[in-house]
Amino acid sequence: MRSSPPIDRLVESLKRLPGIGEKTATRLAFYLVGAADNQVQALANAIGRLKQEIVLCERCFDLTDHSPCQICLDPKREPGLLCVVEEPADLAAIEKSASFRGHYHVLGGAFAPIDGVGPDELRVRELLERVRGGEIQEVVLATNPNTEGDATAHYLADQLRESGVKLSRIAYGMPLGGDLEYADHVTVGLCIENRRGL
Amino acid sequence: MATLRSEALILRSVDFGESDRILHLLLPDQGRLTVIAKGARRSLKRFSGTLDLFNHLSVQVEGRRRNSMARLEQARLIRGFAPLRVDPMRFALGCYLLELLDRLAPEGGVRADMQQLFSFALDALQWVAARPPDLTQRTILELRALDALGLRPELRDCVRCKREVVGEGEQVFHVAEGGPLCGTCAVSLEGLLSVHVGTLRALQQGLSLDLGVIDRLSMGPSALAEARRLVTRLQHFHVGMTLQSERFLDRLFRESGISPSPAETLSSDRFPVA
Repeated sequence: MRSSPPIDRLVESLKRLPGIGEKTATRLAFYLVGAADNQVQALANAIGRLKQEIVLCERCFDLTDHSPCQICLDPKREPGLLCVVEEPADLAAIEKSASFRGHYHVLGGAFAPIDGVGPDELRVRELLERVRGGEIQEVVLATNPNTEGDATAHYLADQLRESGVKLSRIAYGMPLGGDLEYADHVTVGLCIENRRGL
Repeated sequence: MATLRSEALILRSVDFGESDRILHLLLPDQGRLTVIAKGARRSLKRFSGTLDLFNHLSVQVEGRRRNSMARLEQARLIRGFAPLRVDPMRFALGCYLLELLDRLAPEGGVRADMQQLFSFALDALQWVAARPPDLTQRTILELRALDALGLRPELRDCVRCKREVVGEGEQVFHVAEGGPLCGTCAVSLEGLLSVHVGTLRALQQGLSLDLGVIDRLSMGPSALAEARRLVTRLQHFHVGMTLQSERFLDRLFRESGISPSPAETLSSDRFPVA
């Protein structure tokens, strides 16, 4: 049961966010009705400024408030190492691991021919230009390990091969905490194929 | 629909909400079926590695309730067609075939026809996975896909008077009626596609040969250009639009230097489509 049009409007808007259904949206709306004015104002301002202040980095195409972004300007990062990811969220996941100290290139997705997404819809040309610039020595292809991500990685590898840079693909394997008995036979096969010496 | 256990081929996979996935499946007994896989993108155990494009699965589906979609409960991978993941050209041709099946495969249908369609889909993907495609084979695969979908064109007899189209030279083909016209029936009709009788015979052979040996079929450049034009027109007529994946596939063929450029294709279009 709804109480008034302003609450209905807010519930409708919140429902469109990922992971939020009718119940959660209603709970959040009623929480905001009872929250302090400055808290609600701060939230509204933060959302309003988001679209105004976030831009794409001119080098790596990550989301940032200043272009070039902090990662691209960081002098401690290896200038010759470039990791290619599909989306900004993938970049964030790799950064969270704190295991990569190179630079990034965000493609904007992976090939999805059935949805009309090919090389022209992704930042492939920008990647090739960046690599041809001469500073890059190794490109790590970190597109997702699914059919579309693999096909994209192999297309990029074909395109980059003549530039002479070292090419690598992120490893396939079992997730930590996973059970072999639940894994599909393709994943298990790749784990065995790509085993490492101890 | 109660619980359904079946083999299935994934034709399309679309992310839905935060962690779900909507799948278009091709089933041997039922044709196309749309299902939702709840939590598919988050779960490491339930659908681990199984819900990728091209995957041949053994599935358990719970039937639709009121307005909700049928729900995928379990999926086990039978075959993955791995070479389609690592060769962009095979990937592109595989996607093109899946899109064609997704657009034209019926939901429900005569069981024997659906089984034939399912077998074709698996055989075609296996064929594409086994060797790098060329333009002749792509054309024959497209034609055979139309055949498997129940849209086989007539390639020998006049579609109106049913007499065999004879002669050595140019014939005319009526795309909307799905076959050639003899000289008598074609009189006063305009906008027919011109095609050499040899091209029709080659396409006929492409339909009758075992799929495993279609790479033995070869066509000269002009016959191939004619065959491509004819099959493309037929396919566009039945689908009612250009497939999204066609542009990507054409581009990869061009980049590999094995496809005529669009300009060459257009210059040989002497007749508008019927």
